[in-house]
Amino acid sequence: MERQAIVSYQTPSGQTVKIIKHSFLSIRRWPVKRVAFVAGLHGNELEGIYLCHLLTRHLRGLQTSQPEAFKGEVHIYPAINPQAIATGNRLWPFFSVDMNRLLGGENGKSLPAQIAGALLDDLKSSANIVVDFHASNLHLNEVPQIRIIDGFHKKLIPLAVHCNTDLVWVHPPSPVFESTLGYNLNRAKVRALIVESGTCLRLNCDFANSLFNGMLNLLYQTGVLVPAEPPPPVEHPLMVQPSQVALLQSAHAGLFVGHTKLRQHVRKGDTLGEVIDPADGDLLQKVTAPETGFLFTLREHPLVYPGSPLARIAIKETDLL
Amino acid sequence: MKETIFSIPAPLSPTANLVKFSWEGMHPKETFSIVAGLHGDQLNSIYLCSQLIQFLDAVAKGIEPGYRLKGRVQVIPAANLLALQEGTRLWSFDDLDMDLTFPGNAQGELAEQIADAVFKHTVDSQYGIVLHTAADHYEDAPHLVCLNPDSVTKDLARSLGPEIARKPEESPAFRLKLYYRWINQGIKAVIVSAGKPHQLNQPLCKTLFSGLVNALLWTGVLTCNQKKPRKHTVEFFDSGCEQLIHAGAAGLFIPMAKPGASLKKGEKVGEVVDLYTGAILDSPVASADGSLVTLRDYPIVYQKEPLAVLLGKRKFRFWPF
Ligand SMILES: [Zn+2]
Repeated sequence: MERQAIVSYQTPSGQTVKIIKHSFLSIRRWPVKRVAFVAGLHGNELEGIYLCHLLTRHLRGLQTSQPEAFKGEVHIYPAINPQAIATGNRLWPFFSVDMNRLLGGENGKSLPAQIAGALLDDLKSSANIVVDFHASNLHLNEVPQIRIIDGFHKKLIPLAVHCNTDLVWVHPPSPVFESTLGYNLNRAKVRALIVESGTCLRLNCDFANSLFNGMLNLLYQTGVLVPAEPPPPVEHPLMVQPSQVALLQSAHAGLFVGHTKLRQHVRKGDTLGEVIDPADGDLLQKVTAPETGFLFTLREHPLVYPGSPLARIAIKETDLL
Repeated sequence: MKETIFSIPAPLSPTANLVKFSWEGMHPKETFSIVAGLHGDQLNSIYLCSQLIQFLDAVAKGIEPGYRLKGRVQVIPAANLLALQEGTRLWSFDDLDMDLTFPGNAQGELAEQIADAVFKHTVDSQYGIVLHTAADHYEDAPHLVCLNPDSVTKDLARSLGPEIARKPEESPAFRLKLYYRWINQGIKAVIVSAGKPHQLNQPLCKTLFSGLVNALLWTGVLTCNQKKPRKHTVEFFDSGCEQLIHAGAAGLFIPMAKPGASLKKGEKVGEVVDLYTGAILDSPVASADGSLVTLRDYPIVYQKEPLAVLLGKRKFRFWPF
């Protein structure tokens, strides 16, 4: 394994912060493909950082025991926003800047913008396929899923099906995505999958293990990593478009109390939770499943305002290709 | 007239009301909208609105000698009310930058619903001003920002007072701003940026106030029989004229110039000194003659952060055929 800093900068008290990349090179002079894993663009999303640890540990062992398995290259960027990670914050410290909203144009060349630009350039020169790991914000909990912007789906779905996620969600383009890493990689013809899993500031080992198997399978299916024993086969994900996603929102300000578990099939009419007025003891809203389907998002943060998302249900599958 | 354009009920707290003030002449044909407080810590612009509201109330009552309303003026003084009440730039509940959520979404998260209300209430205007201060930790010399201004917008800029206008480069993030959404709808609009966040600079606000009144006179929505609108000289700088000065080292930044100053090539902008010993680590200088439009205000700096923006002569990128 090679370790390299793609960018570094000094803190006011004199330490050097390095944005690290671990590389597992191929035994071949011309590697078949090059895959990169990225985590920690948002400093409070720890699932992806843990997943990078699982991958690094596994690949280090394999490099010692079966170096010939590495037909392609693997690059791991485990912590893009190190100081935000150190304080468990989503945004770049000091300026409250979202590291994943800085690409695609002039953005004043702030330090986080310089680093986002350096990351994009490094990924473009090191990888054909990138997996960018995210967790949800404080508000929601998400089953492992891949989100794909409509228009990139033909190139990405054939890769996404190997990743052992519960769901692949193709949604329409929106101007909000145009400054993200994933969008700009795909625009540059580097196929980028955006994985969303769990909630921030927590680790879900079940989700991490599913994704770990999925990533090994992706490396195997793309011919990058071919060990003596192939990875176990993975489940085919549910494929959904926006018309097949039922979003439940709060109609009131209050507390959401969930009465169900994430990652299960629910039937139309099933109780998912309630929105209550804690002061007056009133029940403000009974939250029930509007359709039968797979519950893939559930509110984690009890505080709600009108419009706050409470749950998402995938109502039926289609063939998107 | 003061009206609530959006109500924000909160769990266990009083409802916060987003307000709009408006005044109308006898036969209003044109509307001039002013929006401030998209970030909760930009107090100059909010104070400036209060001065304008007082003035326009007096005009409407007929106690401001010579002035008469002809068109329609509307002011939304504190768009990001929740962040304002929290004393922060962003509302910490969602960490969303409200000025990156336009045109908003009536069915979305709260920040998007507020953006939607602000946009819908201003989209039918002919003229618009967004009031800002510098980004967190910086101070701006009073200046204007306008993207690809036509001759009418240039004249609007010339009515406002500041003598510098920046013409930014369009980026995906820029397209999510209220200002961009306005000009996209054909509204003649300008951003006014002055001062620094978390601070109220009364003399600065007084100067900007006369500029705003002059702009209202120039458009004709306000008339005055004793006063003709003034036309100021404005120099327009495109992004190729912007010179960014970065910190070569981390530590404490001691400025040696003031925003608005004209600097000669080689002149010091300040010094970065060691946090503990005070030893000089970096002495950033102007690489060409220019006007200092933005300067770092908060002294603690990381290496590679921008310390200053100078506007000068365009760098020749090509042979000047
Ligand atoms: Zn994220």
